[in-house]
Amino acid sequence: MFTVITIVAAGTGLLAGIFVGALPGLTATMAVAVLAPFTFFIDVTIGIPFLLGVYKGAIYGGSIPAITINTPGTAASAATAIDGHALARRGRIRLALETSLFASVLADLLSTIVLIMVAAPLASIAIRFGPPEFVLLYLFALTMIAGVSGDDFVKGLFSAVAGLLLAVIGLDPMSGYQRFTFGVTELMGGISLVPLLIGMFALSEILIQAEKGRRTQETVAGHGGKGLSWRQARALIPVSLRSSVVGTGLGALPGLGAEIACWISYGLAKRRSKRPQRFGKGSLAGISAAEAGNNAVVPAALIPMMVFGIPGDTITAVLLGAFMAHDLMPGPLLFERSPVLIYSFFAVLILTNILLIAFGLFAIRHMRHITRIPPGLLYPAVTVLCFAGAFSVNNSSFDVVIMLAGGLIGYGMRKIDLPIPPLVIALLLASGLENALRQSLMLSGGTLDIFYTRPIALTLMLLLGASVSMLIWRQWNLRKSRSRPTKRVIQ
Amino acid sequence: MKKFRMLKSAFRRGIVPTVISSILFAGLSASGIAVAESIEDFPSKPIRFVTPYPPGGSHSLHAGIITTVAEPYFGQPMISVIRSGGGGVVGAANVAEADPDGYTLLFGDPTINSLRPQVEKLPFEIDDFVPVARINYSPAVFVARADAPFSTMEEMVQFARDNPDDLIYSSDNVNGWTYTVFELLKVKTGTTMRGVEFGGGGPAITNLLGGNTMAYAGAPSVVADHVESGALKALCVTDNKPWPTMPDVKPCPELGYDVVFQFWRGVLVPAKTPQPIIDKLSAGFAELVKDKGFLRLISSINSKVDFADHETFSKLFAKEVEDMAAIAKSME
Repeated sequence: MFTVITIVAAGTGLLAGIFVGALPGLTATMAVAVLAPFTFFIDVTIGIPFLLGVYKGAIYGGSIPAITINTPGTAASAATAIDGHALARRGRIRLALETSLFASVLADLLSTIVLIMVAAPLASIAIRFGPPEFVLLYLFALTMIAGVSGDDFVKGLFSAVAGLLLAVIGLDPMSGYQRFTFGVTELMGGISLVPLLIGMFALSEILIQAEKGRRTQETVAGHGGKGLSWRQARALIPVSLRSSVVGTGLGALPGLGAEIACWISYGLAKRRSKRPQRFGKGSLAGISAAEAGNNAVVPAALIPMMVFGIPGDTITAVLLGAFMAHDLMPGPLLFERSPVLIYSFFAVLILTNILLIAFGLFAIRHMRHITRIPPGLLYPAVTVLCFAGAFSVNNSSFDVVIMLAGGLIGYGMRKIDLPIPPLVIALLLASGLENALRQSLMLSGGTLDIFYTRPIALTLMLLLGASVSMLIWRQWNLRKSRSRPTKRVIQ
Repeated sequence: MKKFRMLKSAFRRGIVPTVISSILFAGLSASGIAVAESIEDFPSKPIRFVTPYPPGGSHSLHAGIITTVAEPYFGQPMISVIRSGGGGVVGAANVAEADPDGYTLLFGDPTINSLRPQVEKLPFEIDDFVPVARINYSPAVFVARADAPFSTMEEMVQFARDNPDDLIYSSDNVNGWTYTVFELLKVKTGTTMRGVEFGGGGPAITNLLGGNTMAYAGAPSVVADHVESGALKALCVTDNKPWPTMPDVKPCPELGYDVVFQFWRGVLVPAKTPQPIIDKLSAGFAELVKDKGFLRLISSINSKVDFADHETFSKLFAKEVEDMAAIAKSME
């Protein structure tokens, strides 16, 4: 089953994936979708490993521009940009990139092992998650907004509400009615996330930099600083492992992708951290959490796809098509019909992990020099990338308008210290939350019993309650400890 | 100054206006030639093949196969473009607004092209499209969970009759395919059942398998494996004859339930596309569906070919629009 060509194919896919993921606007979904048809005619032991490589590479690759130029290559690396770019701005770009690689590989490995060992039992639990359970999960994810709101929680909430409102634009998911589209056909599909993300993160940053102009020519350490030391890496293992577990669990649920998992694991890591104030300012734990969270999703998303033939997101849906084109019908009979092939794919997944370390280190060696490019050259180039990226998501010039609007709004938000991540998270979660909520109420016939009469939903409800009360208690404590010193001053 | 005077005299003598008008004329005639050429040489650039549903469904699967084998039959690459949203409305509206030059094709179906424009206010009309070629069709298969309190169509209808509104089924979109066959069943049997719209076949079957709903109706390629594995029970197929890959499942009309819905997948172009281009496209698809690689891939996804060219497909489509009007009326 295993040939040299299989390994070469997986490696080539990985490289192609890293490249596509690193280009803002070219998403992992698109990479897999575009390349999948070509694999239909190639031998199965070449085609599928190639696609698996692309998938994995693209999710990792997205973190490179997120760190180097504050432009998430894919939506899944938006959380990485926060701490990753903050660190890069301090001249520690190599450290940021290596931390991201370390966490990615570790999470991927753990998630792959879970896929190999317990795919079937985990899938049968995951499939029991119906609309009510998803509502609670989405609500839980929304509480993560508190973690990325900066110093002022009210400002964070304000930004989140703006995101929720933006998400309302488009066709009503259930009845198909147009909402706030003003007759614009392009708005019927809603506000496209990736162009908005590029605008808000990258373009607004460029505007801020342009405004600073030559007054503050930041000169950063030319070689990108020191890399990740063993001591630092060891210290990051617990947070990476926890985030991997979160990513794996969420990935196994059909419907929750890497772009949501990265925020949940980031938020959770901040809550558990002893030094949460360092998050957002270049925290290594923050980078690890975000990257472990999104990379763990990749192998885990294959679980429902392989066991039930249910694709969790668009990428696995395309992979499902590729499997089917090779007479491998994912679903209940897959493991019975072609066990040898499936387990050799698992071996390929482990192998690509090792290759990822090599390719990643190679990429870092060259990417860290990006900070040596004078801002006068770098920022115009990134601006071009923003436009090209926004256009290429859907080949739509309207998305360029969304990107520009996102850039201007993002610039305004930075000016008045309104945090951007809450808006992004809310926009990301809102449509899923709305769908799940309305479906639950249709299932229950309009009563709210459905949220506590089902065992998994009840468990989630209790967890959500505990999490929210913890948050409030912490905030209250924080305020008390803050007010004490001022009292002393008054006395 | 001297130059200006020269220019002035040239103008008076009519040289400049002549030059301008001849440039204009040349430009116009050149563009006229270009239009003539583009029909003659069609296609001279890649063709966009728009799928209006998210990837992973049967539509995108077929689209991937079609676009992969297309190039030799059209002389230009065919690019698969996936523009999902609003249950197909976004992609279809985009094609309806595209230039009618044959470079933008819609991969359509009966719900988005003939049913929904009749019952909903959409940004496009039925007549905004011209049928080019039908690739194939498939019926829906009514299925129930293995542990559902009914195992045949008769028992399911009886259950719905005895327990009004207790039968919850997975649906796709309002006026979608699954939605419509269940509406027809409810109307024809006078029962009430509750559908939950999950937005597409993928999430719909997920919720059925996960035990959140009791029944569903969908493409044979989606449900067949779950029936074989024992997770689902097949009840009947919405066609006048059994489906080749599931020969044991009886047609619904044979069981006394007059629910027939054939879901075709076909190619359409914006209205006002020149006839020669439509003919060229139709002829291209007629050859494409005979391609060996195409046939192998199509069968590997449990599908088949039922080709109809522009003329036949147009007639079938016109008749279907009437049938859909009747269906829409019976659902009221």
